[in-house]
Amino acid sequence: MKEDEEFLKKMENLNVPEVNPTGHPKMVKMAIMNAERSAALGVWLVAVPCYFLACVFMYYSFNGHISWFGAMFKLATGLDKTPGIDFMAPIVLVVLPIVCIIINALAITHVHYEKGAASRAGAKEFVITIKLRTWNILLILISLAIVFTFIAYVMTENISIKN
Amino acid sequence: MKLNWFTRKGIIFWPASVVGWIILFLAAAYAVYTFIDINGRSHSVSDVTINFVFNLLLIGLVYSIIGYFTEMRGEVD
Repeated sequence: MKEDEEFLKKMENLNVPEVNPTGHPKMVKMAIMNAERSAALGVWLVAVPCYFLACVFMYYSFNGHISWFGAMFKLATGLDKTPGIDFMAPIVLVVLPIVCIIINALAITHVHYEKGAASRAGAKEFVITIKLRTWNILLILISLAIVFTFIAYVMTENISIKN
Repeated sequence: MKLNWFTRKGIIFWPASVVGWIILFLAAAYAVYTFIDINGRSHSVSDVTINFVFNLLLIGLVYSIIGYFTEMRGEVD
């Protein structure tokens, strides 16, 4: 009996943690696409242009007299001569990284329109949330680097042809 | 229509049905065919490497796109 009373007293004096219901997220932020699947496909999408740029880098390193533009031009013309890939070169080197950017961006962003937000009554808010997922962000950055490299190459090629 | 041909392990889409295995077999057979074709027309090892790896990556990409759209989906992100 005494043990039971002591146990009951102990239980009554326990410190119960306080839960603040307003601190919990009010909504589940679902992204449009699955992040892991997008990252898995994204790796394949950037693998081809990354391999091409790795070849350019090797050509540039082993031929000291040639510029980066010359190395890229040489390999791009070589690609044009390869049957089956000749017409696909711009698609493979520019469109694929752009597709990678789109699918990975859709996987980590959540867009939400809020009318009469909690902070200010009557205020309209357009809330963009970005999930910090390492692989998706890394793939977006790699794809952006590839796209900008090819834009720089095309611009240099156009200027050099005009001159 | 729900197609459960592949299951994903990391970045690799692994066959989960007969159709998946057929697609994997066809992709592998086409990769071997392109290697023999490129090797027959090339004059140096670098020619084979550059052209074949490019083709191999493209085959892997097409295979992964098929896997992406026909993967078994049981989990919620």
